Amino acid sequence: MNMKLVGGAALGLATVLALSSCGSGGSGGSGGDSQAAGDGTVTLKMVAADYGDGPGKPNSGETFWKGVVDQFQAANPNIKVDVQVINWNDIDKQVATMIQNGQAPDILQTGDYSGFVQDGLLHKVDEVLSPNVSGDLLQKFADFGKVDGTAYGIPFVSSARALFYNKDLFSKAGVAEPPKTWDELKAAAQKLKDAGVTQPFGLPLGQEEAQAESFLWMLGNGGGYKDASGKWTIDSPQNVETFTYLKGLVDAGLTTPNPGTKDRKTVWEDFGAGKVGMVNGGPMSIPIFDAAGLENYGIVPIPGKSGPLDTTLGVMDWIMAFNQNGHAAEIKKFFDFFYTGDAAQKISDTYKLLPVTNGGIEKLSGDEKLKPFLDALPNASFYPFQDQAWPAVSQAVKQTIGGAVEDDPAAVLGELQKTAESAAS
Amino acid sequence: MRRLRALEPLAWVGPAIVLIAVVVIWPVIEMVRSSFLEISRFGVVRGWAGFANYDELFAEKDFADIMVRSVIWVVAVVVLTVVVSLALAQLFNQRFPLRKVARWALIAPWAASVLMTAIIFKWMLDPEVGVINQIRLKLGLIDAMGGAAADQLGNASTAMPWLVFVAVFVSVPFTTYALLAGLATIPADVYEAAKMDGAGRFRTYWSITLPLLRPALTVAALINIMNVFNSFPIIWAMTHGQPGYSTATSTIFMYILKGSDIGESAAMSVINFGMVIVLTVIFLKVSRWNKEVA
Repeated sequence: MNMKLVGGAALGLATVLALSSCGSGGSGGSGGDSQAAGDGTVTLKMVAADYGDGPGKPNSGETFWKGVVDQFQAANPNIKVDVQVINWNDIDKQVATMIQNGQAPDILQTGDYSGFVQDGLLHKVDEVLSPNVSGDLLQKFADFGKVDGTAYGIPFVSSARALFYNKDLFSKAGVAEPPKTWDELKAAAQKLKDAGVTQPFGLPLGQEEAQAESFLWMLGNGGGYKDASGKWTIDSPQNVETFTYLKGLVDAGLTTPNPGTKDRKTVWEDFGAGKVGMVNGGPMSIPIFDAAGLENYGIVPIPGKSGPLDTTLGVMDWIMAFNQNGHAAEIKKFFDFFYTGDAAQKISDTYKLLPVTNGGIEKLSGDEKLKPFLDALPNASFYPFQDQAWPAVSQAVKQTIGGAVEDDPAAVLGELQKTAESAAS
Repeated sequence: MRRLRALEPLAWVGPAIVLIAVVVIWPVIEMVRSSFLEISRFGVVRGWAGFANYDELFAEKDFADIMVRSVIWVVAVVVLTVVVSLALAQLFNQRFPLRKVARWALIAPWAASVLMTAIIFKWMLDPEVGVINQIRLKLGLIDAMGGAAADQLGNASTAMPWLVFVAVFVSVPFTTYALLAGLATIPADVYEAAKMDGAGRFRTYWSITLPLLRPALTVAALINIMNVFNSFPIIWAMTHGQPGYSTATSTIFMYILKGSDIGESAAMSVINFGMVIVLTVIFLKVSRWNKEVA
């Protein structure tokens, strides 16, 4: 009888112990200590976004980072780097969950850094990057890594946008020149439609990257998310006019159907498949078009209302270091290794992303296809991503701006403006 | 000694209680607590928020629509699932050649990942190349590939029925098997008695099969209600809740909110949790689950 009791109690106790040990592993406040193994090896936990086509593909983020990390570890045997690659759709939410659970990574490579600054989670750049490396970064880009004069974000890669057009479809439809203005664009789209092209203009305003496509169109009419003084202007008259013009294209069936539900990846794949006449794209869309077998396309500046844009959307992604685990010295070694070695070059080669260092741009200047984008970089426009409200605005734009080309442009943009103003306060 | 013996059962149920406490009750408490906290988008707790998260949630322009849509979604999917499954269970309860194969085949949609199924349907509905649209083109239902008419997932009024269809498609196997098991428990002599009393087929089904099937039916429907209400992958993979929020249910909305405001998202979770309980209670009341078969 007693034996039974003891056995049962032991089982119960064991369960409690097992569960509680799970619990402490999960809440991970002790992450820093447990990662330093007895032999002095430090493990850096890194989270990175996937620029490739996903797990298992030859250009996947896992493959890329494994190459970088293997090289780094060979040179620094007492530092291990543990990279977790997450796709763009999920990375923000997963990182937020990690931080909420006290499991912040040491290094994060993603699309934004500014949201972490306010909560004091990041190392300053000069704590984790050597001066000779930070001095080589493009000044205009590095400046965007600062909050209140102190740099926290390190530009990782950049890209710019331009208009891609399918030369075969253009000649089939009898359009001689790629459009430079909105009127020309509409006329060309109509001719393409008459020639049987199902999507004369590819317009992805769905969840994936509606904020980019929208911004390119706003720029074409002298608009934007904010004005020069830093006030939100999402529902400015220029923007309303822009989306009214777009709604006209949609209503006439000259674009991707139901743009508000289409991701850029889908539309780029359709362009690659020869179903789309023109589409806004960047260097990173070139591999997609190549993979689909499309060869005869041209790249020109994006048409604006009265002439081609003299600016473009510059996007940069960031790499940053979290200060919770006290690994600044090791992170610095890794960052210096990354920026001085050939890893950055490899990113440009693999993903057609543009470099963020003067040295990197020089190395690429011979590439014909990248030239339009490299030329556009110096005069690029950027999202207002340093504004605390930008994440909420971007989220709302991704979900709802498609409505501005289906329903009432002014009402939808007005609602977004309200989101921006209330998130800013 | 006697006292110790009185404690003995605790040692045996203890692990289960601990498990429930840690895996079920603790997350619920944590969820409710989060809904009253101000949490930054990046997961940092900034302090107590009172009811601010709930106020924000109720003030969302699309909130009411989303809640109504969620209820419609649950009712539509569960009712269709049960009706289809009742018929299928009846069919599979008959003896026919290759019944075993047919029963195995029914498991396929259940065994496949729901996310995979949803993505496959999204591809089949692709406006440019999707096979469903190619069939519709051949049948003359649409004039050409690629246009708005071929883009059924791009429009809420045509996307919703497809979402419901896929949800029913993945729910039917489990429900059918639950009902098949129920049918197997109905003794043959009841049917014999009915036959001798001269009951027709319809009368037999209505007065014998359905009432005796009620326990299985109740359990199957109840599990479906909870599953469907919390169903995420189908809608997320096929439409992201777009255009706008017009195909989003409250579970989808909760996930979208998580990207901008974790506290508000937690508030949505609490409402969701309450909704499931309310729906369940209503269902149990209506189905009089604890009443004996008369």
